[in-house]
Amino acid sequence: MATSVALPSQEAQNPFANVIRFIPGVLLLAAIGFAGKVLEQSINGYAKSHHMVIPNVEYVLWAIALGLLVSNTLTIPKVFLPGIATYEFWLKAGIVLLGARFVLGDVLKLGGISIGLVVLEISGSLILMTLLGRLFNLRPKLSTLLAIGSAVCGVSAIIAAKGAIDADDEDSSFAIAAILALGAIALVTFPLIGHALHLTDNAYGLWAGLAVDNTAEATAAGALFSDAAGKVAVLAKTTRNATIGFVVLGYAIYWASRGQAEKVKNKGAFLWKKFPKFVLGFLAISLLVSVHVFNKEQVGALANLSRWAFLLTFAGVGLRTNFREMSKQGLRPFIVGALGEVLIAVLTLGLVVGANAIWKL
Amino acid sequence: MSDEKLATKATRLGLSLDVWAVLTSFLLALLVRVGVLKHVPW
Repeated sequence: MATSVALPSQEAQNPFANVIRFIPGVLLLAAIGFAGKVLEQSINGYAKSHHMVIPNVEYVLWAIALGLLVSNTLTIPKVFLPGIATYEFWLKAGIVLLGARFVLGDVLKLGGISIGLVVLEISGSLILMTLLGRLFNLRPKLSTLLAIGSAVCGVSAIIAAKGAIDADDEDSSFAIAAILALGAIALVTFPLIGHALHLTDNAYGLWAGLAVDNTAEATAAGALFSDAAGKVAVLAKTTRNATIGFVVLGYAIYWASRGQAEKVKNKGAFLWKKFPKFVLGFLAISLLVSVHVFNKEQVGALANLSRWAFLLTFAGVGLRTNFREMSKQGLRPFIVGALGEVLIAVLTLGLVVGANAIWKL
Repeated sequence: MSDEKLATKATRLGLSLDVWAVLTSFLLALLVRVGVLKHVPW
């Protein structure tokens, strides 16, 4: 499936541009997501009724695995592609609605800790990826894209930076493929490491939110550990996403100073344009819940709507990951990305363990 | 409204994916608040 590495088209950015076109793909997302949920319940039910003890495989993993199976064994008809691309819309809607599960005090406490850790993580990631890019002789703009993708928010950050630094399509595709492949690996490794280290839900969620690049994968990696960890992972990742404008602006100014990108005329407008608006939506819903605009039952309904939106996202994560397409993108960006990600994972784990010792997360 | 008209209107609105996601979420929250969506199972 070419969409695994292709930049989203303008139509994919706006899911309401042509509603009918999106229906087959959205139905496929829903079918795969729901099948994942049914599989989890059926297997658990079977094990319980037969007094068997088997490890619980969360619906998150089933939905991703089914999506991967479909996209890597079948040729997905084109009619499904626009709808599959809406997984990012469902992700953002899910995050906004997830605000219902946080009272503002929690957001401020965990968000405050996250901001401090995010600043350290971004600085470390940018330095690491830039050094590795030089070491492996990657093209400078490809190094910049990999650095931004791994420091801030994966594919969205790469797309945001591509225009700002006048990077070419090939570099963007390389960087996106590397980030997506590494995100897929993180889905498997992070929960295993988290359980092996006996991390708490909050500590693991913070770690996943800080270290996993793409928002969808960070959300899934958190949810694979536990529901509570998934919440915290989204909060930490959202904090990271909020910095996208500043990082991209910094690089845009740098490349413009070297005459290799257009100058940024209005920095305020640039920051606002790049700022992820769903962060504001998340805070607004959290604020409304904190001042009791919704009763307990309504908060539960909003939380469940968020879960359904994430279910479609997780199916999309599997469906848009095609290993054959990724392997065509070359090994060097992947090696640089992989080395960088391992170092970033270790760095952020150290940060989280340190924060846990101070604030008892 | 035909799909073409709907598409034109959406394009003319020029809203980003983020904004659409926020607006849709707020609409859902409003529907929950006024009781149109009472019970959302999981």
